[in-house]
Amino acid sequence: MPGDATETSTDAAARPHARWGAAGAVFLIALAAVFMAGGLELGLGVLFRPGTGAFPFFTGAILAALAAVTVVQDLADPGLAERPDWVSFAAIAAALAVFAVSADRLGLVPAAFLTTVVASVPDRSLSFPGKAALGAVVAAGAWVLFIQLLGLPFRALAFDLFGGA
Amino acid sequence: MTPILSRRAVMGAGLAALVLAPGLALAEPGAWTSEPVRIVVTFPPGGTSDLVARLLAKHLDADFGQKAVVDNRPGAAGTVAADYVARQPADGTVLMIANNAPFTIAPTQFESLPYDPMGDFAHVAYIGASAPGLFVKPDSGIATVAEFQAAAKEGSISYGSSGVGSISHILGKAVDGALGVETLHVPYQGSAPAIQDFRAGVLDTFYDMVAQNRPMIEDKEAVAIAIAAETRFPGVPDVPTFKEQGFDIVIENWVGLTGPAGIPPETAAKIHETVAAVIALPEVQAQLTGLGVTPREMSSDDYAAFVETQIGVWKPLIVAAGVQGK
Amino acid sequence: MELISAFAGGLATVMQPQTLLYCFIGCFLGTFIGVLPGIGSMAAIAMILPLSFHLEPTTALVMIAGVYYGAEYGGSIASILMNIPGTPSSSITCIDGYPMAREGRAGLALFVTSIASFGGGMIGMVVMAALSPALARMALSFGPAEYFSVILLGLVAASAVSNGGAVKGVAMVTLGLMLGTVGVDLTTGDLRFTMGVPELRDGVNLVIVAMGLFGVGELIASIRANAGGRATSVDYRSNTWPTRDEWRRTWGPIWRGGAIGSFFGALPGTGQTVASAVGYAVEKKLSPNRGMFGKGAIEGVTVPESANNAATQTAFIPTLTLGVPGSASMALVIGALMIHGITPGPRILTDHPDLFWGLVASFLVGNVILLILNVPLIGMWVKLLQIPYRFMYPTIIVLICIGVYSLNNNVFDIWLTLVFGIAGYLMRLFRFEPAPLLIGFVLGPMMEEQLRRAMLLSRGDPMVFLDRPISAALIAATLGILVFGLLAGLRARRRLRLAALPADE
Repeated sequence: MPGDATETSTDAAARPHARWGAAGAVFLIALAAVFMAGGLELGLGVLFRPGTGAFPFFTGAILAALAAVTVVQDLADPGLAERPDWVSFAAIAAALAVFAVSADRLGLVPAAFLTTVVASVPDRSLSFPGKAALGAVVAAGAWVLFIQLLGLPFRALAFDLFGGA
Repeated sequence: MTPILSRRAVMGAGLAALVLAPGLALAEPGAWTSEPVRIVVTFPPGGTSDLVARLLAKHLDADFGQKAVVDNRPGAAGTVAADYVARQPADGTVLMIANNAPFTIAPTQFESLPYDPMGDFAHVAYIGASAPGLFVKPDSGIATVAEFQAAAKEGSISYGSSGVGSISHILGKAVDGALGVETLHVPYQGSAPAIQDFRAGVLDTFYDMVAQNRPMIEDKEAVAIAIAAETRFPGVPDVPTFKEQGFDIVIENWVGLTGPAGIPPETAAKIHETVAAVIALPEVQAQLTGLGVTPREMSSDDYAAFVETQIGVWKPLIVAAGVQGK
Repeated sequence: MELISAFAGGLATVMQPQTLLYCFIGCFLGTFIGVLPGIGSMAAIAMILPLSFHLEPTTALVMIAGVYYGAEYGGSIASILMNIPGTPSSSITCIDGYPMAREGRAGLALFVTSIASFGGGMIGMVVMAALSPALARMALSFGPAEYFSVILLGLVAASAVSNGGAVKGVAMVTLGLMLGTVGVDLTTGDLRFTMGVPELRDGVNLVIVAMGLFGVGELIASIRANAGGRATSVDYRSNTWPTRDEWRRTWGPIWRGGAIGSFFGALPGTGQTVASAVGYAVEKKLSPNRGMFGKGAIEGVTVPESANNAATQTAFIPTLTLGVPGSASMALVIGALMIHGITPGPRILTDHPDLFWGLVASFLVGNVILLILNVPLIGMWVKLLQIPYRFMYPTIIVLICIGVYSLNNNVFDIWLTLVFGIAGYLMRLFRFEPAPLLIGFVLGPMMEEQLRRAMLLSRGDPMVFLDRPISAALIAATLGILVFGLLAGLRARRRLRLAALPADE
């Protein structure tokens, strides 16, 4: 795991047990069940004439079986997993959401600015004015690169609160 | 079926620009807005619609000083793009290359559409059309629709289309219906892989635009036994129509320029005249023909009426193809 | 000899100042666009297309081709430096390229990918020059049965890509196959798992899956690791020149990657991503250094780059000689030629030999230009990593957003990237790897489509896979790999059990 190099041994105490990995596999089983149910509904067809639902059903079945094996493996694993970083996770998710909400409504430049600022929230080494300045630089750079130089069909600025798309 | 409108206005450099449909204010070709116009395309780059849009954008800028950019918004058979355009400001800054998929096929095929193909749009300028036809192998011994009918009644014949609900699929079903035969439909993602399988000997026949496949016809790799047009098509005059062989099957694969409803009449007139002037350029005529699109001049009113007629024309075909509600 | 004089004629065309200039413009724009995450060769070609309308057809084609293979050079840069695939086919390069960068070997990785890209490009060029008619015939003998069999072979080989537990890797391949079924069923037109969202009718774009799983997932994990500091605490040595041993180790992978890439490039519909994925899987089976794969193996960046560049060149074979575009970018190339009144097809070699040979010769010139362009820039790219991470990562997020948005100009794709980003981070926490998922996702829809088409055409007779000789040979090879893999696995387990016996309970 690339992150390991920089993590110190004191982190180990905070790292969750590897057996939590089983939770991921359980989720996969649930997802596979959804595809299997959907596949049945769409129709499996006959043996040498697979129907619309055959592929989702059979891949779902194989996935469920494999995931069940990994549940067993993970529960037996005595190791430690990576320590989750929910703050960064939330900030990046929010940054993407901000871009999705603002790109059509406000235009590319404000969207780039807001996305940068939101994404940089978890970094405490940068003050708020610093974050705003970074946002301004990124927004200006995006405008020059994508709109001026590459001529992509984005609107730099818009004001359309109901959203274009 | 397809109304033959203002045939007199067809082609001829400069001539098209002079022929003005009644009811339109006189407008000089030229820029209609200081902003760059976005021409929305319903497909990813590379298709006929996209190339027509790029041709148009280039000449609007180079010859009439109207900046224009092509904005590809593919998805859900063009309905994503149409829905988007319907909700844009009606000032001539956002237009789209309209075609069958979102305007005449989707209204019948899709369970629900977020837009009204007539009420939510201003159909400004018809550009041109290509026509699909039926291709068979040269060694199949089939040269006419009647022979195809006989062969299809005898044994199972397969045909490739560019996808479920595509023009070529619907034409295939229309032919089945008119001939009283049942052929095996094999859908592909676009016509290119279908043609590849046809050449590989996997498929017996395929339907696709005739003019685009002229080299295959010339190389005797495929025989186009009929074209689904009113009259024989320029560029491929040797291919007979279904009509002249006694089967009333006409399917027009058209492209036009359409915007959101409510574009002011004088702006619409200006757009119409400018686009007509671009299409009348000999260079553009040649390039459109290269793409297999036969340009035709049509007034805005006629174009809107045309789209409305086409929805009615396609409806029974889509129902017959069994792709409704999908 | 005829070949060489034809090639020389092409070279003379390309060396004309105007053509040379447009070749350079194409290569430069391609590399540049390729570096930007998500904005691949298709967007770049679409951008440059209007410029080509008034050029001579050969010059136009040379420029467009330059954009196309230039993007493959550029694509690996973002993969190595930021773990964000610049182009879909360079997602495979992330697997070993990014770990190399983390170890301070970014310069070396970039140098090796440039060399591998050049090597792959040259192999592709030679294949195109010498084998075009033969490969065109081969592509024509590939019907649905053959496609299905070759994809099955690729998939079985790809199941070996995972580093962690084999079961988790195969589970991820299967997950990729399963997610590939979202969208309109190509065979019947029925909707599958679209939840009423029109944008999902066409399925999920590969770029979104790659950006979400690799880019966003990795980015979240790296924020804390680099808090306040540089990209990593390891300082970036500027060693870019490979040692003699490293030279030796890249040689074989370049050849194998080039051969695999040339094959898949010439098959319409498969292309660079499949080429690099299969190349990587094969190399991982063959390499004596296979234990290092996924942890920064030099072979692991060489193979995919050699393969995808070879594939970009041979992709022109079906496009030009059959008129069958293997990808959306190639469809644009055909469109560009049609605007000039040239319809690609079997006659292009006789009717437009200048065009064909000019293009082939431009591969040589263009690849040299790209090598000259890329190698001196390595220092600059590596310096980019010295920008403090707190400035870097918000910028990367914006680049991801803009790249994804540019796919369909639709913000729905950003929401999907968010979903896949969350999934990518959770997968990381639960120790599932994204690479096998991606490979399943690329191959799955193709496999299902061809399987069902083959069964449709054979009217439900499964013997079609064994009756056709190419298909039968591919199926036999797949079975061989499976049996070999199972035996090797059993033997390894027995050895492991024997070794563990005294120590364990």
